[in-house]
Amino acid sequence: MLDRRQFIRQCLQSACAVGVAGAVPQLLLPPAVCAAQDAVLAVRRGEDIPRLVRETLAALGGMERFVRSGETVVVKPNIGWDRAVEMAANTHPLVVQTVVQLCLEAGAQKIQIFDRTCNDPRRCYVSSGIQSAVEQIDSKKVEIMHMDRRAYKELEITNGKALGRWSFYLPAIEADRLINLPIAKHHSISTLTLGMKNLMGVIGGNRGMLHRKIAESMADINTVIHSDLTLIDATRILVANGPQGGRLEDVEVRNTLIASPQIATADAYAATLFGFQPHQIETIVAGHQRGLGEIDLNRVTQL
Amino acid sequence: MRVNRKWRIIVQSATLFGFLWLFLQTEYRGTDELAYPVSLLFRLDPLALLAAVFAPGASNLLLLWPALVLLGLTFVFGRFFCSWLCPLGAMFDFFGAPLRRLSTPFIGWPKAKYYLLAGLTLASLCGLQLFGLFDPLSIFLRSLTLAINPVWNLLANSAFNWFYQADLPLVSPTADFVYPFFRDRLLAFQQPVFLLSIFTAVVLLILILLERLQSRFWCRNLCPLGALLGICSRHSLLQRSPQTDCSDCQLCASHCRMGATADASVQAAECVRCLDCLDFCPNQRITFSFSKKDIRRFDLSRRTLLAASLGGAIMAPLAAAAPLTSSYRSDLIRPPGAVAEDEFLRRCIRCGECMKVCIGGALHPDLLRGGAFSLWSPVLVARLGYCELDCTLCGQVCPTGAIALLTVGEKRKTKIGLAVIDKDRCLPFARGEECLVCEEHCPTGKKAIVFDRRKVLVGSEPKELLQPRVLTELCIGCGICETRCPVSGASAIIIITEGESRASLRLL
Repeated sequence: MLDRRQFIRQCLQSACAVGVAGAVPQLLLPPAVCAAQDAVLAVRRGEDIPRLVRETLAALGGMERFVRSGETVVVKPNIGWDRAVEMAANTHPLVVQTVVQLCLEAGAQKIQIFDRTCNDPRRCYVSSGIQSAVEQIDSKKVEIMHMDRRAYKELEITNGKALGRWSFYLPAIEADRLINLPIAKHHSISTLTLGMKNLMGVIGGNRGMLHRKIAESMADINTVIHSDLTLIDATRILVANGPQGGRLEDVEVRNTLIASPQIATADAYAATLFGFQPHQIETIVAGHQRGLGEIDLNRVTQL
Repeated sequence: MRVNRKWRIIVQSATLFGFLWLFLQTEYRGTDELAYPVSLLFRLDPLALLAAVFAPGASNLLLLWPALVLLGLTFVFGRFFCSWLCPLGAMFDFFGAPLRRLSTPFIGWPKAKYYLLAGLTLASLCGLQLFGLFDPLSIFLRSLTLAINPVWNLLANSAFNWFYQADLPLVSPTADFVYPFFRDRLLAFQQPVFLLSIFTAVVLLILILLERLQSRFWCRNLCPLGALLGICSRHSLLQRSPQTDCSDCQLCASHCRMGATADASVQAAECVRCLDCLDFCPNQRITFSFSKKDIRRFDLSRRTLLAASLGGAIMAPLAAAAPLTSSYRSDLIRPPGAVAEDEFLRRCIRCGECMKVCIGGALHPDLLRGGAFSLWSPVLVARLGYCELDCTLCGQVCPTGAIALLTVGEKRKTKIGLAVIDKDRCLPFARGEECLVCEEHCPTGKKAIVFDRRKVLVGSEPKELLQPRVLTELCIGCGICETRCPVSGASAIIIITEGESRASLRLL
């Protein structure tokens, strides 16, 4: 236990350290908006996707709680695969579209949508339906773009367990807000791919290497990339042959959306859709241990 | 500038830029089907037509009818293609100008191209198609694809990167402002890299440097397409008069880009109807008219022609005398839809269109995988790029039917090879570490790579591991597993030719 004196001393020491090492990149200090919040979660069901998105976010207090007027926002759906909407390999385009509209309504000044895909990026953007859904919004503030090869930068992972350094996509880190829009899918190595794994879409490097220690690696990555809101698309989920699927037999329609400011909390609930308990999924446990959210669903307030 | 010359240069440049524009469109642009007939250059190509006609299997005139139109036009206007339309000729005119020395005593071997054409034709008839190596349009496009375009992308991207990083006032914002236009219109989506790019560039460079010996060295002496069009041109309606230099003025001898007036017997075949002489003739003696001239006997050496033809005919069995590649190696992966190897080599004119359009950068020019005469034909090098499951672009651009046009449904079922695991290097087998990248990326709906959960001893410690296994009946050989395998250097899972759909011998 710290006593008050120690606490003050340590605070001053760290302040000095930060002051002296003026070169410490500001990006590494996560914007502390929701970090101190209680563990909250909103789950809604329904078939009308735009309405469902609005209801789910309204339960959390509305998009205004996450995006303030004049801010820049990155919306990160899963656009990883060259698959059609119904194959449940990518985030549903209507989820993306509605979230972007909500950001606009909340006063965002610039909204960027991108993903580092696994298949050819151009095909993924088209086949997923996300490119056309975003372009339909037809606002100058909204831009769906391919990754800019110039904008990756290798950063120190200060508290990394599996990784010491990794290459990150700066626009995702530099934006004021990052909204994570994963789709809930089966994945053979991490069992499931949810919110934490979705942020692998804004890192560079040879991502295949991460699969050897995937749980800790993903937790490491998530300590650098802070997402302000995680909205998991479980309108339809992929229960086998993930993460890219390709067969309708492997798709289950669930008409569900899960939202939480805490990435691990959202993931923990999503795991139950597949019949798992959160603590059975290594990645979720690792995320909890790094302070990415409460995963004991009994301690989470469902709004 | 004189009127005729001006018009020809306008048409020549417009054609060159038109083909360059088509080249830039030879890329996925948001729709499964390409919007433009990007391989028009080769559908116009009589040599491609010959290759397709001589190949076994039905020759697809739906694809190659424009070549007949070109031949027809040549019978009317003569060998106009070479000076008005040919993009390689345009390159020679453009780059050759500063290299040229006007008064060159060099005569060259203007008849060699006819012997070459005879040899190539006979070889092709007998089963060895080599038109592609010498086809000027193939030389142009594959140089563009394999060398010029990658270099252009590298230079442009380095410049933009530099401005982006240097963050200079005024200059960098300007560069960043124009960058999206370059990125979307003029640059490739991903930096193209190709095997054989240096070799291909050197060939082109040599041909350009030969301009120093005489103007249009390639066209005068070697071009088999020029020879073919020249033969038609002899009988064309549009002919020049007089056929040789006038005794009092030798200007044509030094000014004609083709040296066509040197020999009356071949003038009609050598003249490319550029019409420059109409402008430079000081005495206004030259006319081009649609009147039949007396055609003199083509003064080719009968003996050499026979020797060239025989040589060509013998090349075919010589090539066939080598053991079939498929009998001793398994890395000859052809694009999806490629016809059986024998027919494939007889159809493929080495134009490089498929390599340009390949969305995954998977197709590369071959050197020796397919035998001594497979040079520049496309092979899939899966470690460098994979075949995208729902992409059918290579079949769409192939002008000769060497790669058949597949529907997406057919494509998904076309096996181009089979993945096999190298257990000495694959992490779960070789080091007892988990790794499942190949399974994650496997695109067949029901995955062709599955896991076996095994208890293994890592050292003396028992460990439960997932180990990948390939289901041979589901694997289509797309190669994404080989591309994405995280092991450094060569992949721990590789594509071999076994079981490819086009082979007669399927899976064991």
